[in-house]
Amino acid sequence: MSSSEATREVLWNISHGWVMYVLLVPTVAIGAYGIWRRYKSWTQGLPTEGRLDRPKERLIHLWNHALLQRRNLRQRYAGIFHAMIFWGFVTLTIATTVVMIDHDFGIPIMRGAFYLYFQSLFVDALGLLALIGVGMAGYRRWKTRPAKLVYTDEASWILIIGVIILATGFLLEGWRIVATADPWGAWSPIGYATGAVFAKFASIETLTQLHLWCWWFHLALVFGFLAWAPYTKMLHPLTSALNIYAANLEPIGGSLKSIDFETAKNFGVNSLKQFSWKDLLDLDACTECGRCTDACPANTVGKQLSPRDIILDLRGWLHKGTNEEFSLIGSSDALQSDRLFECTSCAACVEACPVSIEQLPKIVDMRRHQVMEEAEFPDTMQKAVNSMEERQHPYTGTQFSRTDWMKELDIPHASETEDAEVLVWAGCGTSLVERNQKSIRSLAQLLQKAGVKFSVLGRDEKCTGDVARRIGNEFLFESLAQENIDTFKKHKVKKVVTACPHCFNTFRNEYPQLGGDFETIHHSEFLGGLLKSGRLKVTEASERKITFHDPCYLSRHNGVTEEPRELLETTTQKTMTELPRNRQNSFCCGGGGGMSFVDEPSDKRVNHERAKEILATDADTVAVGCPFCTTMMEDGINANKGDRKIEVKELAELLNEATTAPDQP
Amino acid sequence: MYLDPIGNQHPYKMNIIVCLKQILDPEVPVRDFSIDSSGLQADSACANQVTNIFCENALETALQLKDLHGGKVIILSLGPESVEDTLRKGLAMKADDAFIILNDTGQIPDSAATAKTLAAGIRKIEPFDLILVGRESGDWGAGQTGGLLAEELGLPFTAFVDEISPEGDDRLTLRQQTDSGWQKFSAPKPAVASITNSDHNLPRIPKTRDIIMANRKPVTRWTLEDLEITPEHLSSSQSKARVLTLSIPDSKSDCEFIEGDNIEEKIGKLAGKIAAITRSA
Amino acid sequence: MSEQTSTVITVVAVDQGSATTGLLGAGQRLARDINGEHLVIACGGTDSPFVAMLSGSADRVIAVESAELANGHPEVWLNTICAISSENNLASIILGSDILSQEITPRLAQRLGGSSIGDAQELSANDGGLIITRSVYGGKAVADIQLTASPAVVWVRSQSMEPAETNATAGTIVAGKVDKTTAPRTQLVDTHEEEAEGERLEDAQIIVSGGRGLGGPEPFEDLVALANVLKAQNSASRAACDLGWVPHSWQVGQTGKKVAPQLYLAVAISGASQHMMGIADSKVIAAINTDSEAPIFKYCQFGLVEDHKQVVGPLIEKLAELLK
Repeated sequence: MSSSEATREVLWNISHGWVMYVLLVPTVAIGAYGIWRRYKSWTQGLPTEGRLDRPKERLIHLWNHALLQRRNLRQRYAGIFHAMIFWGFVTLTIATTVVMIDHDFGIPIMRGAFYLYFQSLFVDALGLLALIGVGMAGYRRWKTRPAKLVYTDEASWILIIGVIILATGFLLEGWRIVATADPWGAWSPIGYATGAVFAKFASIETLTQLHLWCWWFHLALVFGFLAWAPYTKMLHPLTSALNIYAANLEPIGGSLKSIDFETAKNFGVNSLKQFSWKDLLDLDACTECGRCTDACPANTVGKQLSPRDIILDLRGWLHKGTNEEFSLIGSSDALQSDRLFECTSCAACVEACPVSIEQLPKIVDMRRHQVMEEAEFPDTMQKAVNSMEERQHPYTGTQFSRTDWMKELDIPHASETEDAEVLVWAGCGTSLVERNQKSIRSLAQLLQKAGVKFSVLGRDEKCTGDVARRIGNEFLFESLAQENIDTFKKHKVKKVVTACPHCFNTFRNEYPQLGGDFETIHHSEFLGGLLKSGRLKVTEASERKITFHDPCYLSRHNGVTEEPRELLETTTQKTMTELPRNRQNSFCCGGGGGMSFVDEPSDKRVNHERAKEILATDADTVAVGCPFCTTMMEDGINANKGDRKIEVKELAELLNEATTAPDQP
Repeated sequence: MYLDPIGNQHPYKMNIIVCLKQILDPEVPVRDFSIDSSGLQADSACANQVTNIFCENALETALQLKDLHGGKVIILSLGPESVEDTLRKGLAMKADDAFIILNDTGQIPDSAATAKTLAAGIRKIEPFDLILVGRESGDWGAGQTGGLLAEELGLPFTAFVDEISPEGDDRLTLRQQTDSGWQKFSAPKPAVASITNSDHNLPRIPKTRDIIMANRKPVTRWTLEDLEITPEHLSSSQSKARVLTLSIPDSKSDCEFIEGDNIEEKIGKLAGKIAAITRSA
Repeated sequence: MSEQTSTVITVVAVDQGSATTGLLGAGQRLARDINGEHLVIACGGTDSPFVAMLSGSADRVIAVESAELANGHPEVWLNTICAISSENNLASIILGSDILSQEITPRLAQRLGGSSIGDAQELSANDGGLIITRSVYGGKAVADIQLTASPAVVWVRSQSMEPAETNATAGTIVAGKVDKTTAPRTQLVDTHEEEAEGERLEDAQIIVSGGRGLGGPEPFEDLVALANVLKAQNSASRAACDLGWVPHSWQVGQTGKKVAPQLYLAVAISGASQHMMGIADSKVIAAINTDSEAPIFKYCQFGLVEDHKQVVGPLIEKLAELLK
């Protein structure tokens, strides 16, 4: 036979092949029912917008994350073996489809070069890859046993079944090759080798018999697996893909939803029905990979918060499908209220998730219920909230006022000037904490040096409400936001520069929902612009060895990572050092989510953890870009530095030093 | 006999009136604090207005009694328009009715004038079993209004109370915090008490839903005229306790921050300084 | 025709220990200022040493022996003082800073048609009436307040007052009686004294105090140990008391005890002005606090910016050595 006619006999040795089609019916029925049940449970959720629009962008997103699985590859070992298993099984499925097209639809595609190169060689190779991949997965699950995985019998069985399907596949191929003396057998090298081994000690009759039994076994196993999969985490090829398609395409910083207090039936979430359908889909997309909990700074320092377990426990309730009303919060260990209030809102969980699950908004949703419906939340956060209500900033007991940092700088109030290019927004954390006043003074001095006309709001600034929103008091947030938006309108503010990433994020991503209409720029970007246009010149680059601690709200929440670095590089002659966890993978300082206002147990401090990472580099200066980070890192560094000489400096401070002689103020 | 929604009997339900005062934020930073052009009171523009914390303790005490025994909590405040915020917050904490006695004279009445005005308002409110006030306010801190109010109404008074419980149908047991413990008094109803802070009367945080509902509730407004009080009565010229001068003291001296190469050295120096004072004390 | 002499009555409702002499001093000086008579009302027998001591600084002492008065029954005190007041040309009544005196001050004023005020730190007088000086606005300001109606009824911060002088001749002592014309409506039904550990805070010479920054009740045990080594008393800020970490009797501040020690050591206390109001009369204030910007340091003579957890233990050891 010439190679152009190369093929094999489909269903060789199998009589009653029609039984396969019959078995397909219950398989599909059971599987489809499983999928339908999951779908039904998502529909109990509330509607939500902006998840099925922009199909072109979504398809690109799907390509990158569902097909190429880019986030998965951030962890090399797991990313690679997952790709091997994924592509292996995809290929095998295509191969089976080819058989079906050729055998059942009579289109002779499984012939010739295609049969040899693809159906035989390539498929064998991918099958082997899949087998190795499953082996690697098994090694991790049973030998290495990393803490972040979820150790269930189901997960073990899935791997075992995978191995058996692949192994029996090769066995069947091998035995067929031997028993039929397949002239093209060597084109399927794995199968060929397998067959060759058995041929040494088994007769063709034996192999034929084995083939028959094994073929039906393999079929039963595969069909059984297909029927069972929608009832296990192996539904994820479907649900994860759907979830990735419906992913949040906006910056993470804008992912919290507003509440219409006039009409909303509930403030926050305490039952599955109060989540949106997308939130519920999130739960079924979870593959139990554990990367969210692994990345969580609270969990890393030994606190109990676990984003993975929150999702999985919620999923458990979703699957239980009970109709009775009960309180989600407190319904399991992971959903205990005190754990929800350990979250710093850093979104490392959201960033880590390979299938676009959004853990953080669910935590905030449940916090909203606790704060607004139950009025039960940590003491110290209550003080911060009370202070925002009474005096529009969370810093109870501060001895500073918002105008202290401006002393002797002669900066006009927004009402006193018509031709300001920008409004400089200081924010509470910067103006009411003495250490941070240096940063904003530096920014103001830089702008004055650059000849930029700017104004400030001074005592007319009110807290942007970021802290209130993250703690869960959406009502207070909206009232503060509205007051600021009105102040901006009154003074016709069009462009705002701020040094605080929390203010930056809230202004840029959250105020538009409430009627805010102005541009917001982070000072690293604005100062960078001044340097590029020559309005600001570096005259004295230092000898500092700088490392940059990316603020969560800048890097992860808004994707701003390079502007601060470009700015810092101009201020020093030495090259910068990168921290191991940098940019979107930055490790939180521990100050967000209202945690700046909470007393933490001394052995579980997020800022100390990050400080140790910084101290392990050769830097003598750690640059920060956020008032929370400044105080947190100063605390953490001072507590751990011993005799080492290392300083915490804000971006504007460093640039300010580099644009004047050191002895000038 | 009060029957609650699940049918429990509460024989001791009470109508409680709580007087609330709105004051200049006591947390105003020292450097922001300033005195106004009259020279006799703080500049109201230097900080926000907040509810006096002891008044909130009093309201919390009343609400806890209502939670246990049923009844009604009525809140009352004397002041300019801004005191409506204080009453709204009280309503959000689930007080039942709110009354403002509007003082738009621009003058701050002394304790005696305040007590007289509040008493006039209270006489127009339905029968009550108990009146609660804060022990003193965070601004002037005179601590006189409670006692004066009680005498004005001819009622028994106990100060520095941190716990109240009904005693039979006609009496109340009031626990007074003393310097070295407590005392319990039995008083006939109706009685007046001034409330001091304790670890059981921290004011409850209102639920958002209640805040929204409270904003829609009606508040009864009385003018001074409605109570037959003349504006002169609240003015400083008529005060029994008249402010002559108000000044801001000079800020204190410098602190020596103890330095050292390591913490042991610093502790040693600190110990030395403390021991020196101790020996000569 | 000679003008009837005015009387200043000092009511010693409770023996405040060393602070009583401050109370007496205030009354004595005021009586001198207005060229009036100094009359002291106290509970006790006419031959008791306490009454004898009082007579050294008064023109007249009315000593009333009565269980109700001894027990601090407010209405009985009120009735008794009012009855005595009606027999005299009363300019002013001065009372001490104890709870009983604070409670009856406004009530006395109202019954007698006069003015009242509390926590007076200085007293003076002019034609318009008694003038008192006190801190207000949580300690941020100082006010002079004139009491325009007579009698002026004032409770003073006894422990801040200059002590009384002993007169050349002791005053006369007469027995007084409890006024029983009106039955008291309020009854005293129970009393509870905490175990007095050492002297009263108001008299303490050294005080070790803790605040919110300690984080819980356990660290206070270390402060008790520190106080023991210094033979000192313990106190706390209002926040710590409100959280239930320490008894209420430890509270020092605007509402709470006013203390005047030689040394006030503040551990993890931020130093809000309301707290400072209670310790303003301290000779030396020192602080241990992790926050170098804490307001308390503005009132200190010296301080240490460190974590109390690192400091208190070794400090106790060091002090034990030094004070052996």
